[in-house]
Amino acid sequence: MQSGTRGWTGVIVAIVVAAGIGCQSGGRIAGDAARTADGKPDFSGIWQANNEAYWDLQAHSARAGMVTQPGVYSYEYAQVAAAPVVALGAAAGVPASLGVVEGDGEIPYKPEAAAMRKENGQHWIDRDPELKCYLPGTPRAMYMPYPFQIVQGGKQIQMAFAFSNASRTIHFDKVTGPPVDTYMGHSVARWEGDALVVDVTDFNGRNWLDRAGNFHSDKLHLVERYTLQTPDVIRYEVTIEDPDVFTRPWRISMPIYRRMEPHMQLLEYRCVEFAEEFLWGNLRKQPLVKHWEGDTMIVDITRKVPPGDTLYEWYRR
Amino acid sequence: MRRRFLEALGVAALIIALVLVLKFARAPVSAQAGQPGTAAKAGPAPTTPWGEPDLQGIWTRDSDEPLQRPAKYGSKATFTDEERAAFDKQIAEIVGREASEERRQRGTEQDVGGAYNAAVFTSHLRTGRRTSMIVDPPDGRIPAVTPEEQKKRDEMREYSLALMQATDECKKKLPACAGGKYGPPSPRRAETPPSYVFNAAVGGGGGAINRSDGPEDRGHGERCMAAALPDFGGFRRIVQSRDQVSILYDVGQGQGWIRAIPITDAPHVPKNVRLWWGDSRARWDGNALVVDVTNFSPKSNFQGAHENLHLLERWERVDSETIRYTVTIEDPTVWTKRWTVTHDLKKQKDEDNRIYAEPRCHEGNHGMAGLLIGARQQERAFAMGKGPNPATMCLGACGGFAGGFADEGGDANPLR
Repeated sequence: MQSGTRGWTGVIVAIVVAAGIGCQSGGRIAGDAARTADGKPDFSGIWQANNEAYWDLQAHSARAGMVTQPGVYSYEYAQVAAAPVVALGAAAGVPASLGVVEGDGEIPYKPEAAAMRKENGQHWIDRDPELKCYLPGTPRAMYMPYPFQIVQGGKQIQMAFAFSNASRTIHFDKVTGPPVDTYMGHSVARWEGDALVVDVTDFNGRNWLDRAGNFHSDKLHLVERYTLQTPDVIRYEVTIEDPDVFTRPWRISMPIYRRMEPHMQLLEYRCVEFAEEFLWGNLRKQPLVKHWEGDTMIVDITRKVPPGDTLYEWYRR
Repeated sequence: MRRRFLEALGVAALIIALVLVLKFARAPVSAQAGQPGTAAKAGPAPTTPWGEPDLQGIWTRDSDEPLQRPAKYGSKATFTDEERAAFDKQIAEIVGREASEERRQRGTEQDVGGAYNAAVFTSHLRTGRRTSMIVDPPDGRIPAVTPEEQKKRDEMREYSLALMQATDECKKKLPACAGGKYGPPSPRRAETPPSYVFNAAVGGGGGAINRSDGPEDRGHGERCMAAALPDFGGFRRIVQSRDQVSILYDVGQGQGWIRAIPITDAPHVPKNVRLWWGDSRARWDGNALVVDVTNFSPKSNFQGAHENLHLLERWERVDSETIRYTVTIEDPTVWTKRWTVTHDLKKQKDEDNRIYAEPRCHEGNHGMAGLLIGARQQERAFAMGKGPNPATMCLGACGGFAGGFADEGGDANPLR
């Protein structure tokens, strides 16, 4: 019966470990979400979406590169990775997705806005504010591939985002709004039962919704709905309204997951510095990127293969 | 494109206008609270519904006290009310008149440098009671630096002076060139600086070396990366939950940042993880949140301390109106002993929401592009024989006015 005893020990260890984990995450009872002192669901913690919405809110196939160009076969579906990313091989591609847009999956653009969306996609590198390390805006910040932290206090919720050190303050009380339009919006919250409903306004219209060129104007109005699907999963739903860009309100929804690693903490991604070359490289006395035509960076790819690391040698190892 | 640029300028102007409104709007608040004996009636320190000290709210200092005690005050720890009133008058006059006649001569480099007179951007609070925010050492001054650190600083100063030596600042023996001499353009202009260029006023009041080869030469402030820990100015918004305290810092013209402090006894992150604002670990001690901060980045800068900086902060909720912030600062590679700074933060009205909550210096940083474009144009003009040698020109880093005060003389800040 050796093996039986060992089996029981395993179960006991599992229970003890599970209890330990429960204590670490604030005394939560499994299956029951943590609540604040006033009985509201407690969203405090570190969270991250785990989907492809940051590439494109809409359903899309995988593609060869973050930027693509026509391949030797000129068919649209035979595009290949373009120069800025070609040296990255399979790491340069974009994963497929079923999309996060509810209903028919279409974003109801007005005709002229649809044209702008298409143009944005073609000029991703030149236009996407993310590449410049600008504040990511709402809701984009919520599903970027970086964690963010929710600190739920009494009168406010403060959110800290790893990307660009962005933040949001969500007010439960009536407060004076921002005197100028903002990147991240002005957020005012109320409870509808166990759902946190946040009304977001006062945008400056300079943000995008993803890397595909989906965009909005300064008339953007969001209604976000946060519910705890399980103690460690937020169901995040947003109604997006913008009479200048869309013909009707539309919705996205996705789960956002708690980062469960022990001692998980937010580490900064202070990208202002990382974007300097991108923004001002052509203005250096001695440019690091050697070939510029005005503001246009011409990337000549140099991929040095160390001795012994050619593809052929690599396979023979 | 041009229209977008103009729009952006409009936004920048609006932001500046907003900052002005905020600064002026703040003045009456500070004027009231700065008076001795008229502090708002403070109740007991509140606690959160879950029983911990409650630090939440918008907070700021309500009086101006120098970080270091001016040497002339020796062991004098407090100002009299008469002295404070006299300082307020003197400072208002200096800030009001801005630059001296000589420095305002139109078209001079000093005039152009002084055009960015920070007076209007700087919140001038009433003079506080204490002669220094530093409470330890007892002389109220930052301790002496180590010989190694002094050597580093001397090397940087020497380099900075070499980059300035062909300018009018040195020819006219202006304060920014103190310790330097006038001479031909130095070959050192092509060198990498002996240490990273931070915000420290290495070349005088302007805050950077006299070169604009790339963004790095311009220092943290102009790169929109000036926010550092610890910080003794601006506003804070604190929100807390059971095991986290988040602090939004509204500092330095849109260079604010958000800080999320875990309340945990877990060890600091591994040594190879380096962070601009360090790695914070907090615990409660009575009415205070005690935060241990390590793992700073070598590129971070606080008074010349970088990756070896170690802070022990104490955010104590003294009463309903006050948080007493105390920080012990330690870096054995920089200072010969540790030192401690303390000041009170006063609670501001939540509903007024008077905090510039969206730090977006970088998004509007047309200044950096302008500076670099200007520098390249000067070089081209010189190469074509149509302009002076850029090495003889001061690129806004050769002293002048900081925070509305001159580097020295009658228009210098009497509290510095």
